[in-house]
Amino acid sequence: MKNKLSKYDAAFLAPGLIVFTVFLLIPLTLSFVYSFTNWNGFGSTMKNVGFRNYKMLLTDTYFWVAFKTTIILTLITAIVGNCLGIILAAIIEPKSKVNKFAKTMIFIPAILSGVVVSFIWSYMTQTNGGIINTMLAWVRIPAIDLYASNGSMTVMVSLVIAWAALGFYTTVYIANISNISEEIYEAAEIDGASPKKIFFSITVPLLQPAIIINVTTAIIWGLKQYDFVKVMIPGTVQTVAVYAVERAFEYNMFGYSSAIIVTLLVFTLLISVLQIQVNRYKEIDY
Amino acid sequence: MRKKRFICIALILAILSTSIFAAGQKEPTKTTEEKTKITFSINKTPILTSDFWNIVSSRYMEQNPNVVIENVGQPSSNIMHRDFLKTLLATNQFPDVMVMASPGDFVGSGALMPLPVEKMPYLKDTSIGKIDGENYVAVYKIQVGGFWYNRTAFENLGLDAPKTYDELINISKTIKKNNLTPVSMGLKDGWAHSILASMICSADILSEDPDWGLKRNRNEVKFSDRNFVRSIEKYQELTSIYSNSDSASVSYAQQLELFFSGKALMIPMGSWIQGTEATINPDFEVGFFPVPSDMNADSIAVWANEGLAIYADTKYPEQCLDFIRFFFEDELWYGQFLQTEMLFSGSQKEIPYKMSPLRKEVGAKFEALNNVENWFDMTGDAALLPGLQAYFNKMTQRITMGSDVKSELKKFDAEWDFVNSNM
Repeated sequence: MKNKLSKYDAAFLAPGLIVFTVFLLIPLTLSFVYSFTNWNGFGSTMKNVGFRNYKMLLTDTYFWVAFKTTIILTLITAIVGNCLGIILAAIIEPKSKVNKFAKTMIFIPAILSGVVVSFIWSYMTQTNGGIINTMLAWVRIPAIDLYASNGSMTVMVSLVIAWAALGFYTTVYIANISNISEEIYEAAEIDGASPKKIFFSITVPLLQPAIIINVTTAIIWGLKQYDFVKVMIPGTVQTVAVYAVERAFEYNMFGYSSAIIVTLLVFTLLISVLQIQVNRYKEIDY
Repeated sequence: MRKKRFICIALILAILSTSIFAAGQKEPTKTTEEKTKITFSINKTPILTSDFWNIVSSRYMEQNPNVVIENVGQPSSNIMHRDFLKTLLATNQFPDVMVMASPGDFVGSGALMPLPVEKMPYLKDTSIGKIDGENYVAVYKIQVGGFWYNRTAFENLGLDAPKTYDELINISKTIKKNNLTPVSMGLKDGWAHSILASMICSADILSEDPDWGLKRNRNEVKFSDRNFVRSIEKYQELTSIYSNSDSASVSYAQQLELFFSGKALMIPMGSWIQGTEATINPDFEVGFFPVPSDMNADSIAVWANEGLAIYADTKYPEQCLDFIRFFFEDELWYGQFLQTEMLFSGSQKEIPYKMSPLRKEVGAKFEALNNVENWFDMTGDAALLPGLQAYFNKMTQRITMGSDVKSELKKFDAEWDFVNSNM
């Protein structure tokens, strides 16, 4: 067993490493450095301000409002997206032709760009003239103004994000369900377990590895959410990412914006590590 | 076998490196050694397209064969030109000449050249937009703002253009009683709604005290002062009671559609709306009146914040100045440019172009009334601090949706303090 890297291994690794370094490692390091400066985004003049940007962050009301919105959005997208994903995966019978079509349809939103999905739902959710309210009018239900408050807008955009990711979650769950041994289900049926009991006592617990993957992905995706929020709703609702971009490009406060992004990165890392650690001790096997 | 693998790897690396270098290198230009190459950053809009801007560059190059003008514009319509310029500056690609609407963002970095206005006699007004006593922008267009109204419907309802704010409210009440929307409003795009708030501030505050912006930047007045609160309360009244109730989901295009389809009878907007009016040709007559204050309707909000600027480190300052001169003096081009949005000229010389009857009506009001800067776009030392325009847009969205005016304006003052302390 050779552990040494050959020149061929290095050659094949090089393109990936170069891209990783140029487009991720260097910008990340620079963001970290800028977060301790008062850089305005252009020009070479900047001053080291120590932890001033981070101290400002602690008392910045708008940052905390954006942070709260981000957390709410992340929770809704993770919970709704994964619950629906598990239910759909359990319903869809892998070998049926009809369900192959259903799987394709469910996956389509996942391959569309966030901006495209946002525009589609913007038109659909319009208070006057949107397809949802038009259909409600057909059955004489009064129009719903989803843009009436910041709260309703947050819930609306969260549900759209969950919808867009549903195809991905469902596909992962379907793949995991197909790996669960038929014998376990047969044994449960012989013992007289109801379909509900089978679902909650066998399917869901054995889906735990997939749930960890999907929930972690959903949380990371939710925390860095930008495009859906930017396109779908007016600026009164902001996530941390939208807020950071605004502080950088509208206020010329790139140093402060970098501090926001570094904080978000650290928070995302902490949540991900915590989640993986908690779930490591709960692995289930029958 | 080993040799084959090596060749294979070498080929992959060659393809990769070629693509990376090809992506990073500029296309070779036709510039020869004796030609001067100037980059010109244009602001692409649905009306002022790349092809349209090419007209001025091509015409200049025809007359100056030793100069090559390379136009550069935003790569995508959702990128603001100002942000595009910031990116160019940050990456050492700042253009020699550029369209500029927010010099305050760039002067601090020493990126803009003070213009020798004594050598630019063709400019109409060099007193506007000075920063620390210097001109950085050759203003090429002047626009006005106010209420554009459905004159046909107004006549049918027996209404006249209002002379005071109370009259405007009474008109709005009558329109509402007739099951029509008085004011077309859209919050979704994040800027169109704040034009009304800004024009009310111009009529109420800047018409009384043209130095208000300067005083705010010296911290001598505040947003939470009584007169400012009163102006924003008027904005809230008009947008929350007399506008379309679905304004939060309405974009600028839909806001225009509400007005031009006859569903809403007034729209507060800048004179660029005439470009849309000319394209749509609605089946009613459009009229214009300025935003009235409590006492009168004697002032008109004016935008004079956009023009051409020169990079402080350009190798060809004289050539850039000559290009700007050409921009203003080439009547064929400049007339075409002004006609796109029925603009007012920034040139000393009257430039003729085919004007609509509406443009003539607006022109007469522009001449007769007191010209006041549009509050949001105050220029020079009076300009809002960086970021506060974006804040104002969001704050007015919240106010339209019912947020308390006084507490919002106190927060606006706190935001001013925050930005000022970080400058």
